Amino acid sequence: MAAIQTIIDNCNGMTINRRKVVGQQITRNQIPRVSTTPTKNPWTMELDMPTSFQYNDARALMESTDTLDRTGYEDVTFSNNTALNWIYRYQGSLAVSQLNGLTINSFVGNQLVLSGLPAVNANRVIFEPNDLIQVAGYPYPFTSTTRITRGTGATVTVTTHRPNIITAVVDTLNIVVGNACTFRLFCPNMPVYKLTVGGAQYSTGGTLVGNALIEWSAPFQLYEYVGTS
Amino acid sequence: MDTIPAVENSPPQINSAEFVRITIYNDYEVPADTTVLTASSAYKDETIDAQVFSAVGGLMSIGGQQKSIRVTSADTTVALSGIQGTLINTVLSTKIRGSELEIWRGFYNTSGELTSTAKRFTGIITSYNITEDRAGLDDSFVVSVNASSYKTVLANRIAGRKTNKQSWQFFNTDDSSMNNVYSIAQQTFDFGKEVTATSGRGRGGGGGNRDDDGGRNQQQR
Repeated sequence: MAAIQTIIDNCNGMTINRRKVVGQQITRNQIPRVSTTPTKNPWTMELDMPTSFQYNDARALMESTDTLDRTGYEDVTFSNNTALNWIYRYQGSLAVSQLNGLTINSFVGNQLVLSGLPAVNANRVIFEPNDLIQVAGYPYPFTSTTRITRGTGATVTVTTHRPNIITAVVDTLNIVVGNACTFRLFCPNMPVYKLTVGGAQYSTGGTLVGNALIEWSAPFQLYEYVGTS
Repeated sequence: MDTIPAVENSPPQINSAEFVRITIYNDYEVPADTTVLTASSAYKDETIDAQVFSAVGGLMSIGGQQKSIRVTSADTTVALSGIQGTLINTVLSTKIRGSELEIWRGFYNTSGELTSTAKRFTGIITSYNITEDRAGLDDSFVVSVNASSYKTVLANRIAGRKTNKQSWQFFNTDDSSMNNVYSIAQQTFDFGKEVTATSGRGRGGGGGNRDDDGGRNQQQR
């Protein structure tokens, strides 16, 4: 069982944190001065889990969280759950076939230049703010920070929320958008679980196979694993 | 004084990253025999002065660097890694003490591209420290190196040579000028007294008669 994917699919609350590393100062004449460090700016998410898993149903989950521990990572998505696939749904107006035709012309800093644009009206929206974009084959999603329309040129330039953190050359590669993107996450605090009495389960033969609910010691703090980017 | 365009006129926002290079001299007699380690807080590898700085070099933190108009003897500390065992091996198995430490600050534009750099510190590593912290199931360690500026190094430098055989022959192995220094060290002797037979090793003059010499042969220590 995929532990982190199961946690995402069953959580009852999610906090997304994309804050950058910054320095802030207010001068004596109250002028703000700020500095930022252009880091890999990894995605961080905190997921709250309900105490609703019955022991017999959660044994595989418990084992997979123990196996993953605080070091292993997992590629997860928001698209494989019909109750969740609205998260990071693609907001632009291109069809899947048209999106599949887009290729990366260049990706330097946070400027992603795309080519292979379809012959559509110049006003058609390709990306809305917060649309996810991922280089095909690399599980590191970027967001579009602004609305991008087709325009009339051979290319469009997307300003992404973080610079290109992928070491390999990505020119000519395709992109993946919306909730089809995957996140490579690990859980540095991997909570432990406590069995509390309740939720008795019996096998068809009447044998007691579980009489506990799973209670997690803390929210799952997920962190993007960018060490291999 | 160098002008750093990226911080001229107090811009309201600065995007910058730190770059560290350690040049380890494997053999002091062969200056070209070096091992170079790099690290940075940037999001990707960058090239500064023809040197590629690794973005995954394990840089954890950089201590403050004193800036003043006059030359000062400021030290700084660079913490290198919280996990990688290879860095402990680097510290323990190489001649990292005495290595050259250089620190740059790189400035980025709003598109995340490196536009300029400024060197902040050049010094020599004087000591290192390996700290292991194990609390419960959390196990980590940090390798930190301390570096002194060149001014400190120059201030502590011993110039010239000592009046002994070893120091003299460091420059010329055939120089025998100081061969007898050891034998007369810490000995009492009278200047100007004629040499006579002595019982003690290296006693010059064998002791004089002060009354006869009219105070001329004062004992010298």
